[in-house]
Amino acid sequence: MPKCTLNGKEIEVAEGTTIIEAYKKLEEDIAHYCWHPGLSVAGVCRLCMVKVEGNPRLQIACNTVVQDGMVISNQDDEVKEAVRWGLDFHLINHPLDCPVCDQAGECGLQDQYMKFGKYDPEMAERKVKKSKVVDLGKRVVLDSERCILCSRCVRFTEEVSKTNELGIFNRGDHSEIGTYSGKPLDNNYSLNTVDICPVGALTSRDFRFKQRVWFLNKKQSVCTGCSTGCNIDVYFNKEGVWRFKPAFNAEVNGHWMCDKGRDYYANLNPYETHVEGERKDKKVKRIPVRLLNGMKGSEMINSQDLAIEVGQRLKELGGEKVALVITGQQTSEELEAVTEFFAKDLNSKNVFYWVNNKENFDEFDGILKRGDENPNTKGALKTLEKFGLNQTWSQLTDGIEKGHIEMVLVLGPENQQVYPDFKTRVEELSKAKTLVWTTACLNESLDKSNVWQIPANTFVEKEGTFINHAGLEQKISFITDLVHNAFDGVELARLMRGDDLPEEERFKNSPYKRVNNEFTSIRGDL
Amino acid sequence: MPESKLLTEHYHKDEYRGLQGYKANGGYQVIEKAFKMDPQKIIEEVLNSGLRGRGGAGFPTGRKWSFLPDNGEPRYLLCNADEGEPCTFKDRMMMERAPHQLIEGMVISAFAIKSHKSYIYVRGEYTESVEILREAIKEAYDAGYLGKNILGSGFDHDMDVYAGAGAYICGEETGMISSLEGKKGQPKLKPPFPAVKGYLGKPTIVNNVETLAAVVPIIKDGADAYKKFGTEKSTGTKLFSVSGDVQKPGNYEVPLGMPLRELIELAGGMKPSRTLKAVIPGGTSAPVLNKEEAEKATMDYECLAEMGSMLGSGAVTIIDDTRCMVDMLHVITHFYHHESCGQCTPCREGTGWLNKIVNSIVEGRGRLQDIDTLCKVADHMKGKTICALSDAAALPVLSFVPKFRSEFEFYIREGRSKVKGTRYAEMHA
Repeated sequence: MPKCTLNGKEIEVAEGTTIIEAYKKLEEDIAHYCWHPGLSVAGVCRLCMVKVEGNPRLQIACNTVVQDGMVISNQDDEVKEAVRWGLDFHLINHPLDCPVCDQAGECGLQDQYMKFGKYDPEMAERKVKKSKVVDLGKRVVLDSERCILCSRCVRFTEEVSKTNELGIFNRGDHSEIGTYSGKPLDNNYSLNTVDICPVGALTSRDFRFKQRVWFLNKKQSVCTGCSTGCNIDVYFNKEGVWRFKPAFNAEVNGHWMCDKGRDYYANLNPYETHVEGERKDKKVKRIPVRLLNGMKGSEMINSQDLAIEVGQRLKELGGEKVALVITGQQTSEELEAVTEFFAKDLNSKNVFYWVNNKENFDEFDGILKRGDENPNTKGALKTLEKFGLNQTWSQLTDGIEKGHIEMVLVLGPENQQVYPDFKTRVEELSKAKTLVWTTACLNESLDKSNVWQIPANTFVEKEGTFINHAGLEQKISFITDLVHNAFDGVELARLMRGDDLPEEERFKNSPYKRVNNEFTSIRGDL
Repeated sequence: MPESKLLTEHYHKDEYRGLQGYKANGGYQVIEKAFKMDPQKIIEEVLNSGLRGRGGAGFPTGRKWSFLPDNGEPRYLLCNADEGEPCTFKDRMMMERAPHQLIEGMVISAFAIKSHKSYIYVRGEYTESVEILREAIKEAYDAGYLGKNILGSGFDHDMDVYAGAGAYICGEETGMISSLEGKKGQPKLKPPFPAVKGYLGKPTIVNNVETLAAVVPIIKDGADAYKKFGTEKSTGTKLFSVSGDVQKPGNYEVPLGMPLRELIELAGGMKPSRTLKAVIPGGTSAPVLNKEEAEKATMDYECLAEMGSMLGSGAVTIIDDTRCMVDMLHVITHFYHHESCGQCTPCREGTGWLNKIVNSIVEGRGRLQDIDTLCKVADHMKGKTICALSDAAALPVLSFVPKFRSEFEFYIREGRSKVKGTRYAEMHA
């Protein structure tokens, strides 16, 4: 284990650690663009200069391995001057269009210039013009002028997604990122290139121009797209959720997440916004996509009252005549609470497990995405095991067919898109006298006279645990309230049992409470 | 001091290009001697001879060879014939006049470093050299100097010619390796160095044409005979491509340490009624010498390094009093701007910046502070990048501007050349 001195502080690191990794470990400031902990070393931005005692030339920290007894500093005047000029070299052909740039606020150039910059530009010549708004693929847009050619995105497609779509074309200061003509950037991990782009060169087609990042708050959660359970940062404000970005977790997802998982954020917001017409005639239409209140057939009813009524009806019918359907989309706590209500309070054995795409469960793309598109399959199985339940689906359909089962409560899947059999199951189960379905999103097939709908919370509105494919328990925490009348399974079980909800739990984030602009707590990190 | 034709003795004979002519003039004899030697002994002989890389950096060849790791991986020998340094034209002559000399030198070197495959990476513009080399390699295969079990020694060696696409950066050894691997010709991050991880990730030695050819006389007569030429630290002979304002520009093979004055005389001296103003002693990336320095300089690694310049590739450009230094620097900065690979930021942006400033000056838009900006930009490009192209672009600026500052100031104040008296457009009409 070599020991070295960094800016006067002693540190012991593992064999083969580079100087920049040692700096990161000590949480000392060091300028860098091209180095990324999840990618290979390119050594091209030449910003992470350090002075190593005994070496006359400045070294780049990213490609220099710590040797025992090294005395390293980046507080030296020579280093500071080199970094200042290095930053100026980056900026001389950069358009500096921060006011209209989507990256502003989480931009590596801005952040590092504030910290290490020269503040005295000397470039008086004409800048190089390059193409703007280049269509790289269906998700990513490129602005070549802003690009500082750090090659992170190119290395990402080479090393992580292994799709090799991106390359640097041309040479010298006319170099541009690009794709081979007719071969767009189209893979399930393409938006990671946007995350790792330290400037506003690569932007997400979906997110760009929608929000200024300093009006967004972020909190960590777990992606519900599949059983991998990638850790994510949810970016939200009082208007809703705007995007997901991966949060580093070495055990689960490293630095990355897939595009499919990112797309899911749009399902969380109560309304979909459509803009119709142009300029003067522009009309903004907000179409609800989430279930906003309880529905008893076509009659709207307070969701809390509906839940209490459901509880009473279930108790009246008793054990044999009622059934519960669960999926791998709820948290372990929810599954447990509702199952317990059925197994203990109602003394019913009729708890059924709805599996969506069993045949794809073992699929894995080799990076992150798994075929099991439920975040908590392991949790659902564990709950059934705990209460000793192992009913088959045919027992349920038979029971409904023969009229033994009169009322079915379904803890509906939050992400209906991954349940291709959604419609057929609704048809199947609505043959029962009453079908109660807790759902987050609206679905036409649920509009039936004997179907009661209870609005459910999505994963950003509740707390709980997901157990991923490897059996790792990951906690999610409450992030923001989007539908005020919705509640989660734990609350549903309490209401059905007849207990009231405490007031503060009902309105965690009241829309009537005026919240000032929510600034991101930590500025854009690299 | 006359020329010392160690390598170029028979270059004037047309037949020397072919296998028969080469053999008739004593060729392919050293190879037999070498095969009887221990490979380690050859490396020692080259090390003792003090031979230094003739491509530009001047790194001791024997030492480079000794860096190869002994890990049983296949080794590659690459001949750097991507002669891109402006004003250099020695390798071209060597390949076109004596291709077999290069092949012989390469087979001996490959035997020494136990490499069974070599490539000659030829600059894309040298189409004739490529044809001649291909023809010569075919002849050598037919005569058993290449291929399996060469001359019954049990040593196998294959050789190929690879034509580059004409990028200056591919003359840098790792840039050349990238290009040879089929990638974009961009230098690789070091460490690891090519001797450890080079072509296809295997140990690789890259040597210049002249260096590999020089192995032939070293093995022929021994290191001591070779060391008789040149100075203590710069041994042997060197080909200088003398160009510019001399009466007989051309390649001259002289012992290292020859006074620059004498080299100019050898090249026919200055043109009538013109006087010496400056000399670029080692290709355009070498800092320029002014008249006083040029008169004192001797052509060896130490003396030029002491003067803050370098021997480089041996391209000696003689500049007389009719040349405008601002105009010359403009050509040089344009070249490096055009040739920067764009990988490292200081070089990518800096070469463009330098060129734009000089361009502004020659087009009459210059400001006096531009002179200082030029020096500052160049100074911060120096020694900050993966390869030496950034230095190559910065050094001319850092020597032209301070040494001929009055010409730059005049140009900025008057909008015309101090020497020519005319504006840029008129100069290049």
